[in-house]
Amino acid sequence: MVIKVVGVEREAACREIREAIGAEKVRDDEITLVTYGRIRHGFDTMWPFRKPCMVVFPESREDVVETLKIANRYVIPVTSVGTSAIMLGTTEGGIILDQRRRDKVLEINTDSGYAVIEPGVSFDKLTAALRGTGYKCAVGTMPGPGTVLGQALSRGSQSFSTRYLNVVVDLEVALPDGTVYSTGSSHFAGVGSHLRYGPYPDLAGLYLCAYGAMGVVTKAAVRIHPANEASRVNLAGFDSYADAVDFIKELVNHNIPEHTFIWNWHMYLTWPLAPEDMASVMPEVLRSDFRKPPEGTPYNIVSTLFSGYPDQVELYEKICERVAKKYHGRVLPEEEVEKRFPATAAGFKQQYGDFHYRESVHWSKGRFVGWYVFGEPKDMKEVEKFAAGEFAKFGKEINPVNYYSHPFDYGRSILLRIAGFPEPTDIELRRKIAKKFDEMYDVALKRYRAVPIRPIGSDRAGTYMKVLARIKKALDPNNILNRDAGLFEEGEL
Amino acid sequence: MRLAATLQDVQAAASRCLRDARCTYGSWPENRVLCPLYAHDPSFTFSGGGYLFLILALLDNKIDFNQSTAEFAFSCTGCLACDSNCHLFSAHAPYAGILDAVRLLRAEAVRKGFIPEGVRKVYDRVKKTGDYGHASALALPEKIRDDAAATVIFAECAHTPSQKEVSAAAVRLLEKIGRPVSVFSERGCCGSTLYDLGLWEELEPLVRANWARMEPMREKMFVFMSPHCQEFVVRRYPEILPDAAPVNGRHISQLLAGAFKEGRLKSRNAGKIKVSYHDPCYLGRGLGIYDAPRDVLAGLEGVELVEMARNREDSFCCGARTPGGYIPGLAEDTARERLREFEATGADLLVTACAYCRDSFRKVMPVKDRARVKDLTELVDERT
Repeated sequence: MVIKVVGVEREAACREIREAIGAEKVRDDEITLVTYGRIRHGFDTMWPFRKPCMVVFPESREDVVETLKIANRYVIPVTSVGTSAIMLGTTEGGIILDQRRRDKVLEINTDSGYAVIEPGVSFDKLTAALRGTGYKCAVGTMPGPGTVLGQALSRGSQSFSTRYLNVVVDLEVALPDGTVYSTGSSHFAGVGSHLRYGPYPDLAGLYLCAYGAMGVVTKAAVRIHPANEASRVNLAGFDSYADAVDFIKELVNHNIPEHTFIWNWHMYLTWPLAPEDMASVMPEVLRSDFRKPPEGTPYNIVSTLFSGYPDQVELYEKICERVAKKYHGRVLPEEEVEKRFPATAAGFKQQYGDFHYRESVHWSKGRFVGWYVFGEPKDMKEVEKFAAGEFAKFGKEINPVNYYSHPFDYGRSILLRIAGFPEPTDIELRRKIAKKFDEMYDVALKRYRAVPIRPIGSDRAGTYMKVLARIKKALDPNNILNRDAGLFEEGEL
Repeated sequence: MRLAATLQDVQAAASRCLRDARCTYGSWPENRVLCPLYAHDPSFTFSGGGYLFLILALLDNKIDFNQSTAEFAFSCTGCLACDSNCHLFSAHAPYAGILDAVRLLRAEAVRKGFIPEGVRKVYDRVKKTGDYGHASALALPEKIRDDAAATVIFAECAHTPSQKEVSAAAVRLLEKIGRPVSVFSERGCCGSTLYDLGLWEELEPLVRANWARMEPMREKMFVFMSPHCQEFVVRRYPEILPDAAPVNGRHISQLLAGAFKEGRLKSRNAGKIKVSYHDPCYLGRGLGIYDAPRDVLAGLEGVELVEMARNREDSFCCGARTPGGYIPGLAEDTARERLREFEATGADLLVTACAYCRDSFRKVMPVKDRARVKDLTELVDERT
């Protein structure tokens, strides 16, 4: 559907929205509009600049509903965002619904194990609210200020994914016509959010990876997890990715990790860097070949979090030692890690100890360009070789080449996320890399049966996308929601 | 930041912004909002990242430079909270802070002739006289004045009404301490105001002239009353003048803390009082001086310190030095917000260590309450 809204109608819509929710929650000054023209981080010039006509800052569910109803009536696109958006595009002349002011933690239920949050709640806010409750949140692979729901709805890789599965239990969603409903058990009057679906289908799933295109989430219940009596992060070093995969697969099969993660050496050295470490650690990494670590530096480190009773944790540690040896690796003693890789040790301590993701300087090497796929464990061993080979062709100018990899759904699928850091202003190189990534996704799909984390074009998803488009038309007949989020190419259904 | 820098110089660093508002709030787990603009109007635009994206939009020709852009550039309070909390921008070339990028934006506005009304007065004066402010004549009592002394008092020019009173209290304290001191009087402004306001073309001659007079004394200990002057002279002079070496600077609060420790200043019991200490942005986040003022307060008999919720690295700005008009009432609203936080402590007195803060708070207080805001030097002078 091609949307044509003339200026007069847009002005009328803006006026109505102001009257409905209050002028102080609406901004349309030129500076605000241009600073929201590209909402992906880094003002990425690879992404089209599309200036909205207004930015709305709802402070209640009613503000969201009123804005949606008016926008729908005038057929003005609405893009709902939190903070630190990754893959969202804006729409020229559309409305940005910036939900950052809706940032209350509404309920922490330690009996069932969920927290009810508003869409603007960040990981920092949630982790802080959970302190002292005996519960922790599934910290994602986002910096602390990123919104929990932003990651869940745009399919961040969610680092605590082994045992925790998806973070969402229940969503409250507003549709363009003003309908508000809950996807989980709270849909029944007086019932909490303890059950994601049943007796009806799992509608929450419709919103995950949908980038806001299926409805605007106004409230959510997210999983929280007990912070047990004893907790430990085991670090084991391996000289090959294949060995690291076998190691985690065996641990997962024996129900040991809450979470486990494979890091390549560029990443475990640079990801947790504090600014003061930049000058000491980064230069050597930038000069190196990421496929050839220095003597004695493990190619991969596997971090494995386990918790439970103290004797249980002690036993798990011993098991890790045995299994690591079986796969040609070794557990790295804490003292050794602190001495050899102090920034890494500090980073892990922060992430697993405080359940707070450190804002890492690693990000500031530049806007990364990342390639992400999911595959079955044996296929992923080949995918890693393939991806590493292709990344090496870009040369050292995109160093550090950082990857992490981790099992989903108890190891049924494994994610590999590999990224490089070309200079943010080198648009030509970035375009070249983007083109190459498309080719790599094709190869990964055909040769290794590995699926991408992000939409790569409806022609490759066939009937699935056709069905999805039919559902989208039913929920959002005027196609106003997050049109340029990338789910449906350039907003066209 | 080099005075010859251009917006292009910060383009790559600005492109690293994650748009995650990390620049706006302080330490975990409190996560308290520290950016006055963001506190006033939480949006990406009104954050350090908003300024960076504006620079990128200007470079990408998505918006024209105009009076409105200039007003926005000058609306940042310059509190340094962004630079204390976001480490992404500063980790790469040109290794500057977000606030430096804001100043660069201001310099660009001035170069293009878009000068907000609040800045125009300063600009015109500097154009006419080559300086801003008056050379201060800090009169030291003869018994401590010694031009060969190892300690030099940096006599700031008085941009603020409070400076005169702060200086007078400082002189009385120096007399009580009784050590020999000399005075360095600027020709006028040290340059920090011009630097902040983007009057960079006029800045270098001023700094060079001041440095020519300071250079022979650079082995001595310079004691500053204004954190703004101290931060600028100590940190920025060497950036601006390649031949300038950093001077050995101390804040008056450090001098006072040392004097208590050595027994040169003695507290007299002037009754019990609860005070709250406001960390000035440039003394705290700018220079990292948090303990000395608290040590001084601890040295005063009968004085009980009650901290505000936002303190030390997580202090909140007073709102001074906000000449832009993009957000009407921002300076006053910021001061009022801080005063509400002070009132919540139940303290009798709000103590600060910067004349700008003292002025900013007093400006928004009822006349009858204004005596409840004091500079640290004034309180110590009263109670020693």
